[in-house]
Amino acid sequence: MLTDRGLDRYQRQVALFGEEAQERLGCARVVIVGAGGLGCPVALYLAAAGIGEVRLVDGDVVDRTNLNRQVLHADRDVGRAKVESAAEKIRAQNPEIRVVATRATLDEGNAAGLAGGADLIVDATDNFAARYILNRVALHAGVPLVHGAVRGFDGQATTIIPGKTACLECIFPVTPPGEDLIPVVGTTPGIIGLVQANEAIKYITGTGDLLTDRLLVWDGRAATTAILPVERQDDCSACGNGRC
Amino acid sequence: MQVRVRAFARLREAIGGDLTLEVPEGATMSRLLAAVGETSEQAGEALFEESGELRGYVILMHNGRRVRRAEAGTLTLADGDEVALFPPVAGG
Ligand SMILES: [Zn+2]
Repeated sequence: MLTDRGLDRYQRQVALFGEEAQERLGCARVVIVGAGGLGCPVALYLAAAGIGEVRLVDGDVVDRTNLNRQVLHADRDVGRAKVESAAEKIRAQNPEIRVVATRATLDEGNAAGLAGGADLIVDATDNFAARYILNRVALHAGVPLVHGAVRGFDGQATTIIPGKTACLECIFPVTPPGEDLIPVVGTTPGIIGLVQANEAIKYITGTGDLLTDRLLVWDGRAATTAILPVERQDDCSACGNGRC
Repeated sequence: MQVRVRAFARLREAIGGDLTLEVPEGATMSRLLAAVGETSEQAGEALFEESGELRGYVILMHNGRRVRRAEAGTLTLADGDEVALFPPVAGG
């Protein structure tokens, strides 16, 4: 049951998808890996929507070069752990949810523990090595993964339901190259991050159609989105041939 | 015959938008990719490694269906087909 405060706070969402769906959000645990360009908008909007437990994972500290896009971090946060800076802002936004900040860089050794018990994982990382690790953890645990990535004015997003839909390695069997300095305008991770947060809300509330087996491609220069159909690959090295 | 090419992300920047390319009857996907790469130096770099191999991470679509890299050499195109080329992005 929602409290009176909760009924006020979430009034517009309850009007949209009902009290039971709102309660489901309140019981949900979401892990957001990365508290940067994507992670900031994802965390802020999921907190505002009333996700019961938001877990933030990131090993970095805030650098001044982050501030054009990592909108939860302010000038005074430079040098602070990103997860602490982000957790402070989203706790202020919604003190009624639980926020868990873990300062750690995801690797094969810690990934399962960091994502353990989550209802959904959000890929807000900035490299494909970490994404492949998250994908395998999600497949192994049977937990949905919402992928997003950005560069410049371009972004992509998709939702993976383990054992049912194309996984990250079905879609991207070869990793795109890393770059020392990825050019990006802050609005691009803002847009893609909110697509990811929207997917998370839809999954938890059972609303609408997920971005499963579909890759959303955003072109901010042209202000257009395209949907590329993708499918599970039998020979996928992560989920193929009954691996998942 | 004419094939329409929809390019995304860096490839779109490199070739400046969508293209309609004239290719010989029965041209394969590989032949078309070579033609796209020849449109500009940047387009060539966006699609091919220095060795001339197609960059493995570029997603190839033919009339809305995903094409595996191994199929590119044998998949023949028809007049009016649409090919989409998407080099994924990796930042966050
Ligand atoms: Zn797969």
